[in-house]
Amino acid sequence: MTDIIQAVINGVLTGALIAIPAMGLTAIFAVLRYVNFAIGPLATCGAFAAWVLNFRYGWPVLPAMAGSFVTVAAIGLAVEQAALARLRPSGALTVAIASIAVGIILENVLRFSFGNDLRAFDLPLMRDWRFWGLRVGPQQLQTAGIAVAMMAGVFAFLRFTRYGKAMRAVADNPDLARLFRMEPGRIAMATVALGTGLTGVGGALLGLDSAIDPMSGSRLLLPVFAAAVLGGLGSIPGAVAGAILIGIGEELSLLVIPATYRSAIGFLTILLVLSFRPGGLFGERAA
Amino acid sequence: MTNSTTRRRFLASSAILAGSLALPIRAMAQDGPIKLGTLTPLTGAGGPYGPVMADTVKAVVDGVNAAGGVLGRQIEVVSEDDQTNPEAGVRAARKLIDVDGVSAIMGTWASSVTTAVAPLCWESGTMLTTVSGADSITLLPHEGYIVRTQPNTILQGQKFGEFTVELGAGKVFFMSPQTPFADSQFSEITKVVEAAGGSTEKLIYDDKKPSYRSEVDEMMAFGPDVVVLGGYMPDTTVLLKDIYRAGYEGKMLAFAYSVNQKLVDALPAEVVEGIYTIAPSPAEGSAAYKALTELTGIASPDPYTTQIFDQVNMVILAIAAAGDASGTAIRDAFRTVSQGDGKPVHTALEGLEALAAGEAVNYDGASGPCDFTAEGDILDCQFRYEQVKDGAFTLLKIA
Repeated sequence: MTDIIQAVINGVLTGALIAIPAMGLTAIFAVLRYVNFAIGPLATCGAFAAWVLNFRYGWPVLPAMAGSFVTVAAIGLAVEQAALARLRPSGALTVAIASIAVGIILENVLRFSFGNDLRAFDLPLMRDWRFWGLRVGPQQLQTAGIAVAMMAGVFAFLRFTRYGKAMRAVADNPDLARLFRMEPGRIAMATVALGTGLTGVGGALLGLDSAIDPMSGSRLLLPVFAAAVLGGLGSIPGAVAGAILIGIGEELSLLVIPATYRSAIGFLTILLVLSFRPGGLFGERAA
Repeated sequence: MTNSTTRRRFLASSAILAGSLALPIRAMAQDGPIKLGTLTPLTGAGGPYGPVMADTVKAVVDGVNAAGGVLGRQIEVVSEDDQTNPEAGVRAARKLIDVDGVSAIMGTWASSVTTAVAPLCWESGTMLTTVSGADSITLLPHEGYIVRTQPNTILQGQKFGEFTVELGAGKVFFMSPQTPFADSQFSEITKVVEAAGGSTEKLIYDDKKPSYRSEVDEMMAFGPDVVVLGGYMPDTTVLLKDIYRAGYEGKMLAFAYSVNQKLVDALPAEVVEGIYTIAPSPAEGSAAYKALTELTGIASPDPYTTQIFDQVNMVILAIAAAGDASGTAIRDAFRTVSQGDGKPVHTALEGLEALAAGEAVNYDGASGPCDFTAEGDILDCQFRYEQVKDGAFTLLKIA
């Protein structure tokens, strides 16, 4: 029983990490209707941005996260303007494929700038807390806390601000939104900034927990994509729920199957969801 | 668009085709440069090693070219990146073999890459020299086209097992990602540890995860005296953090290629303190080792750099000894320059002189004596045992 509770705790902590970039992915899909596969390398960009601020300039964790958000949002906007937006008339698939290309370019830019070496944040490592035969890491809790705060922030933004409401409106019906004098173009850009910025913070949080190299974000792409699909592409609450479920699923699976097959859980989830509930758990555009 | 072939167009294209056939292709192949390929990981888990390896080959070849080349021809090095990834490795090897027409590929690092690339090499008659350890590699039906300078994992597994026993371990836990050598390494460790009355357990994990908390829980539940880490650097970094967080206080033993100075620098000191590492030991103090340090300017080259230095030297000598630069000629002549009663030589230049003077040569390298079995494994190798103390590696012994 302790095993199961421990696995659930571990899963929630991992899921909180996956949730942030999954929210970014799904937000971009909701408004622009394409899957941005560059989010893996964008997450890596976020991790490196935060690392530079923390390690080279000595910024504490929270300001470094904010810096990471801004940097990656800027990169995301630049990529969208320079490459992806022009391809949008050719269809979502073209844009998605172009985003893979963008991802490869970004990853190699990082590689040329920072090299292949592993880098870690300048933070002390703490032993876990133990209670009732369970253990929880203070750092994981902090990371999960930041993730939850970000989720709350995004929900509040979408629900209560003009821009947030406009985003939801455009996601729901671009033509109708235009009638109400919302500019889908500007809203789209704001969404890209939000989505890629979130991805950047997700990458940075992941880096805090482990270590970063030019591939660390790409390794995360599958669970992030699986989380967004499970929750229903386009649904922000869905992405969060999907991420937590994938996290728990992967950890629980360790109790019954060898650890080496853990990645398969992501694929298996996508397969099952697409077979039985193609719209995902939260259906289409539930945000 | 019409698709008709007019008589004029047909004649024109036939003439071009005939003209190109008339070109002296054979003569071109004989008089042009001899092409040798490096296929090292410039990116991925082997990224810290591959670039230096490729540069070393170029430096050796530059020296030989400056001295007039081999068989009166210059040597051209074509370097490709295997990305520490079998799929990318196969693509790069195809390019080296089919487009560049190299007669040897040197330096494949990860066992998974070498395993994937090997069939392309023996089928095309291209020599493959590797630094991969998985014992399955030389068991492939490679017809002699594979030679490796790295001791195989059966030997490495024995050393790991013996050392854990030496550390007083009763219970040994082996954690490794899925690699071609994980099973054989574990079974060799198990043999040695069980013979000494201990017990072992293994966990094969997925090396692409951001966290290994649950895996570490499984390890802690076994209560090991020594944890053997079989992974590469990126996954081992993440794993070590989680092992520390879990409060593990026992000993740890790892491959020196994963727990290296870069990993030690990247992690807090208390996480890596006391980890033991094992690596095939370069032949420090040998003439070839000295030549290598002078050539590259690196004071203490890693084992792979010493190995690829030996590989390119032996390939060049084999070409000279065979009087032919084809992959098959390199294969057939390889052991005539690597071992035997010839004059001991330590660089290609030294060996080329001796061969020109009509002497037989026996290459003694920077990584060791470089003598090979018929299967392509090295006969003799020393190992280097180190321990992390205060953020630096302390040499315990070479044996």
